[in-house]
Amino acid sequence: MDKDGLLKSIAQAVVDMEEERAAELCGRSLQEGVPAKEALYRGLIPGMDEVSRLYAESEYFVPEVLSASDAMYAGLEVLKPHIETERGEKAVKVVIGVVKGDTHDIGKNIVKMMMETSGAEMFDLGRDVAVERFVEKAEEVGAQVIAMSTLMSTTLVGMKTLVEMLVGRGLRPKYKVMVGGGPVSPEFCRRIGADLYAKDAAEAVKVLKAECGLAR
Amino acid sequence: MKKDAMTPLERAAALAAGGEVDRLPVNPNIANGVARIYGCKISEFNTDPKAQAEAQVAAYRKFGYDSVRIFTDLFPWAEAMGAEVVKPDDDTADLARPAVGDVKDIDRLVPADPYKGGRLAVQLEAMDRLVDRVGGEVPCSGSLAGPFTNAFFLYGVNEALRLFKKNPDAMRKLCRVSLETCKAYAAATIAKGLGVTISEPMSSCTVVSPATFREYSLPCLKELVDFIKGKGKVPVIHICGDTTEIWDDIADLGVGGFSVDNVVDLKKCCRAIGGRTKMLGNVDPSTVMYAGTPADVRRKTLECILAAYDSPKGYVVMSGCSLPVESPQENVAAMMDAVRDVGYPVKPGKVEGMLRELGAGD
Repeated sequence: MDKDGLLKSIAQAVVDMEEERAAELCGRSLQEGVPAKEALYRGLIPGMDEVSRLYAESEYFVPEVLSASDAMYAGLEVLKPHIETERGEKAVKVVIGVVKGDTHDIGKNIVKMMMETSGAEMFDLGRDVAVERFVEKAEEVGAQVIAMSTLMSTTLVGMKTLVEMLVGRGLRPKYKVMVGGGPVSPEFCRRIGADLYAKDAAEAVKVLKAECGLAR
Repeated sequence: MKKDAMTPLERAAALAAGGEVDRLPVNPNIANGVARIYGCKISEFNTDPKAQAEAQVAAYRKFGYDSVRIFTDLFPWAEAMGAEVVKPDDDTADLARPAVGDVKDIDRLVPADPYKGGRLAVQLEAMDRLVDRVGGEVPCSGSLAGPFTNAFFLYGVNEALRLFKKNPDAMRKLCRVSLETCKAYAAATIAKGLGVTISEPMSSCTVVSPATFREYSLPCLKELVDFIKGKGKVPVIHICGDTTEIWDDIADLGVGGFSVDNVVDLKKCCRAIGGRTKMLGNVDPSTVMYAGTPADVRRKTLECILAAYDSPKGYVVMSGCSLPVESPQENVAAMMDAVRDVGYPVKPGKVEGMLRELGAGD
């Protein structure tokens, strides 16, 4: 297989959700002298971009996106030791997490993964995260965006509390607050005084790009 | 808040017979928020059947809505099969650890016996008390997490999502054993004299494709619905999120009603399947009921009524999903009063006039 063919196969392995194949092909690309960065940016990431497109067009759903991202990460694990980290200082820093009371993090994980592959630097607080933790982490790493998600209508109040906390501490202008997840709507976003809303992971990346620009 | 001329049971019977009623049926779907009205902690529902039933009674007495149900969260069934659940002092429970962590342990799962202690037994006891207290005036039901949804909690949501690709047989097994638990609980609920409602959020097209739904969830749902009908009750089903592509499948199940999420186009849904099943929905529980004003609630309630009042198999005004616990009680009252002010039969011109009176809103 020539280099272009190999890179295409890597992308296809991600789209086909083939974890082992993605890892194997990434290994082969290294053996054949393809720079790891090229395998990432011309193989794995175009694969994930295609997955995002399929998801946006309702051809792929959550299980497919999750399995495809597993394949992407399997390939990334192989490439990682060979990628020199020269992450641009300019990369947008995003603190992300699922608000307190909710332990469902599949949606958040997909958003995180897609933002990461688009060049943002992600700080993942996980699930069931207290509002203070979002603020502390954002201050600590000098983030520009705080992104919160929830699946359960019962935990929405945490999003409102975060905005109020930022205002109370005089930190509001420093951050864009992004909200999303099942029970969240653009109207809800506006009402609680958050800045950005996205209906799904693909849109979240679009909104982030439009608002902050991204490194890639 | 205004008073009603009929009890919910009288209203339901009259509607079924095509007779005169005072208003459309309505169910704000207060969920664990009933604890705030009754004055207990949500965690009391985990162990105290009296608190569970009395909180339902208190909320019903306060607002006069058209059905009461025993339901606290989606996880008691998985818990009874070995999952661990976090139970906050005064908030809704959540899954902490699934029942099995390895595919090879799936064969060891056994269906839950709802009478055998734990939260399922508490719920069954609460049903007795509920029927005893208000069964003569308002329809009572027990809710359960559907077979497909419960299967995710047995194996962990993220891990179960991977099974469709990695091990479809394992997912089928999880659905089967889950179905047996659902049947046992439904049978126990019906034996207590209550109706059954099924919550099936993971079946939503927001989560899985229609093809995945049809392959894994639908056969189990069909079996469960037939089982319940065989015992003389016709279940109502609720699916969160978008369901547009599976409306026909749901109608074909022969359910007594379909409760839709607020992301669904209610009018389109009525046109598509309203001739085959009753429609329930779909005021936004978060933006409108939790974060909105009473005027917002009134406007949205009126819009839903306009969209669905003439649905051939009937319409129940409802929230699109369980309300957040801290939803203001005045918003619940606003939904009730909007329905009372509209009256019955619904005159669309009058509802439009009421909407104009409210103005455009913000």
